[in-house]
Amino acid sequence: MKHKKDRIIEKFLLLLLLIFALIIPLIIGSNQYNVLLVTTVLLYGVMATSWNIIGGLAGQLDLASFAYLGLGAFTSGTLFIRYNFSPWIGMVIGGLVAVGFALLIGIPLFRFRIREVWYALTTCALVEILKVVFTMWEEVGGPVERYLPYYRGSLYHMRFGSYIPYYYLILGLLLIVLLVNYRITKTKLGYYLKALGEDEIAAEALGVNTRVCKLRALVYYSFLIGVAGGIYANMYGYVHPSFFNGQESIKVAILGIVGGRGIAYGPLLAALLLVGIQEFLRASIGGEVSGLYLVIYSVILILVVLFRPKGIATIFQGIYQKLIRREVKKEDV
Amino acid sequence: MSNEQILKTSKLTKSFGNLIAVNHVNLEIYKEEVVGLIGPNGAGKTTFFNLITGLEIPDEGQVVFKGTDITAIPPHKICQLGMSRTFQVARSFTEMSVEEVIRVGAYNRKKEKEVQEKVDWVIKFFELEDIRNYKCSDLGLASLRKVEVARATATEPDLLLLDEVGAGLTSTELFRLMSEIKRLNQETKITICVVEHVMQMVMGLCERIFVLDAGELIAKGVPSEISNNQRVIEAYLGRRGYSESSSAS
Amino acid sequence: METIIQGVFNGALMGCTYALIALGLSLIFGVMNVVNFAHGDFVMLSMYFTFWAGSIWGVDAALTPLITFPLLFSFGIIVYYGLINRTLREHYTIQIAVTVGLMTFLRAITQLVWHAQPRALPYSFIQGNIHLGGYVIALSRLTSATISLIIIAGISFFLSKTWPGRTIRATSDDLDAASLMGVDFQKTYALAFGLGSSLTAIAGSLLMTFQQVDPTMGLRFGLLSWCILALAGLGSIPGLLISGLIVGVGESLAMTFWDPRARSLVIYLIFILVLWLRPRGIFGRK
Repeated sequence: MKHKKDRIIEKFLLLLLLIFALIIPLIIGSNQYNVLLVTTVLLYGVMATSWNIIGGLAGQLDLASFAYLGLGAFTSGTLFIRYNFSPWIGMVIGGLVAVGFALLIGIPLFRFRIREVWYALTTCALVEILKVVFTMWEEVGGPVERYLPYYRGSLYHMRFGSYIPYYYLILGLLLIVLLVNYRITKTKLGYYLKALGEDEIAAEALGVNTRVCKLRALVYYSFLIGVAGGIYANMYGYVHPSFFNGQESIKVAILGIVGGRGIAYGPLLAALLLVGIQEFLRASIGGEVSGLYLVIYSVILILVVLFRPKGIATIFQGIYQKLIRREVKKEDV
Repeated sequence: MSNEQILKTSKLTKSFGNLIAVNHVNLEIYKEEVVGLIGPNGAGKTTFFNLITGLEIPDEGQVVFKGTDITAIPPHKICQLGMSRTFQVARSFTEMSVEEVIRVGAYNRKKEKEVQEKVDWVIKFFELEDIRNYKCSDLGLASLRKVEVARATATEPDLLLLDEVGAGLTSTELFRLMSEIKRLNQETKITICVVEHVMQMVMGLCERIFVLDAGELIAKGVPSEISNNQRVIEAYLGRRGYSESSSAS
Repeated sequence: METIIQGVFNGALMGCTYALIALGLSLIFGVMNVVNFAHGDFVMLSMYFTFWAGSIWGVDAALTPLITFPLLFSFGIIVYYGLINRTLREHYTIQIAVTVGLMTFLRAITQLVWHAQPRALPYSFIQGNIHLGGYVIALSRLTSATISLIIIAGISFFLSKTWPGRTIRATSDDLDAASLMGVDFQKTYALAFGLGSSLTAIAGSLLMTFQQVDPTMGLRFGLLSWCILALAGLGSIPGLLISGLIVGVGESLAMTFWDPRARSLVIYLIFILVLWLRPRGIFGRK
């Protein structure tokens, strides 16, 4: 049972974080490159937090996040290029296309009870398949970047002359994703996903329809990332088959794992820390010695996994409990 | 005990390769009774449970539950129909708290608004208040077993199947668990079927007993009949001829 | 017709080397159930070592396995005791996370040392072509396939006829029973991991005689060997070889008749179809 005081402190901390997130662009806004970096970090936060629904809660090691991002980007981008569709609508359609694809794959996958490693590898292969398909599909993709039409500062076309609006868009999406995560964990679906993520047979014996639950998790996950894909395309101003990036999809899953399985803010924390470190290293030493930043990053990653197998979030939980629980105990006495 | 049948199996058969784990088993369980299913190790008790709960599909035969044929229906549907079970090897949700686990069970029948009430009732009934926020990975075996029974009870079953809940418990723990199961049957009128090889538990708890040996139903009756049944004694102690030949080889 | 036969032949030769890589993976996965995401990157690493040995010391690619085999064997042992061993008790996702970390590390190291551009060796003494009827067979590919087959046969012999090999098989069949028989599972695991890694050394050197290497090709080799493993199922070395041939030929035909870019597409499609239709693999034991 959480005490009132806990809740107040929690809310206060969250508010502080939010204010900080809101004013970041005002601090670093003069340097567009830095804004792009911070936005990238947040984008990984969005993806890893969405991943938490399928990976953290439902325990399915999904490695296809960039497949959904790419599908969202291509849908929204192509509609924009071809039919001058507003990306605001395009990104929702992109989300739906991602969901359609996820169901197309998810229904047989769960039907044939493909689990653990084999699920991971299938989804990993999916990203690579889409990459090849979009490279060969000249009408939509092709080997050359397709640029979105240029409008300077058009809200309707989601084209801005600066990265700052995209930062706020991604931040807004992040809040939505966190809220969805939070809502799910408080409802029947969340409890069912947690249970089946730990033991499918035991969950089924308690009346959990594991197939339907996993599909529902997949739908939330793919839709949220598909929507992010729409913003992604507009932020970079082009679409390209390299958006289907197997390596980065694996990274998103790793962020989810390292953050702490099933802890809603864990993946976000991992994204902020690890991607933050990575992007910082890339920006500071990446230009001089290529590869060095990745060496450092991967060593940090390995150390975190070895010494915090239950997740980065547990470090903060520990600190938090030490700070808060002491007061609570006094109250109890 | 009423005269209305809740579960009936006919000619239930399952084999794995050359081994016939369950062989033409016909049995029936009546509403509101506590029955026991006993037999030596490898007699096919767990397989029998797996067959009636949909975890495994029988080669032959039929399972009828509350008048519905449930042969080869997936486990979650069987649970929704009102049959719930525990597992011999505790299958616990290690990262979830006791309360969360029970909540998973309670969602089977309850809507979002009534679920907490049910959870509280189950926790109170099984006296789990002290450990309700503990993670399952932090629990001892006795508490784990109790939580398993509790979460299965939370699904509001008409028939509750308990697969060796007493295994590995000390006799005091066993006695307490037994009395809780008995109380559950008396207060809620849930029909209970226990699989055991701890004879003491079955004899004290059950109104009727079925005995399986090598996949076949060799006896059924009230405890006193069973404990004097020659075939049952043979099944447990081994036939004289059999034990001689096995010691010779 | 001729192009078909040529394509099949090239693919089959390639498939033998693929089977060798997959054999390494199957040793690791089969024995300790650890998913090594870095397996393909071990191949990539061996290719770079071969490149190094060739360009700095002038050692021919065909001979470098003599150096890379013990090198990757030791590397495998170090990785086992340093990383894998520490995560054996954890959730399987943690094991994957650690091997992904390793994968990123290897990729970054190669980028750091050899930069991002593709590298190839200018020559090898097994270069040249054999003309057979109307067909051309690259000597390097033929030699690679032959050596791969010999090594696979050797491993098969090792697993069935020698004591350490038998401990590996026993452990993969039943860990508890093997432990009761006095098998030290730590040593067996380390041996399997070392051996599995060192097989990539041979494959890497062989591939280097006719192919170029770049830091991003690890993932492709990784998925490719998982595909072969999925086709073959666990525990059958002939099955592994046939699956390697299927994948090699499929890839080669896709490149000749469809589109060079479709080579991996075919592999992944085979992979997904097999998983859906035959989860135990075509040749796997039950």
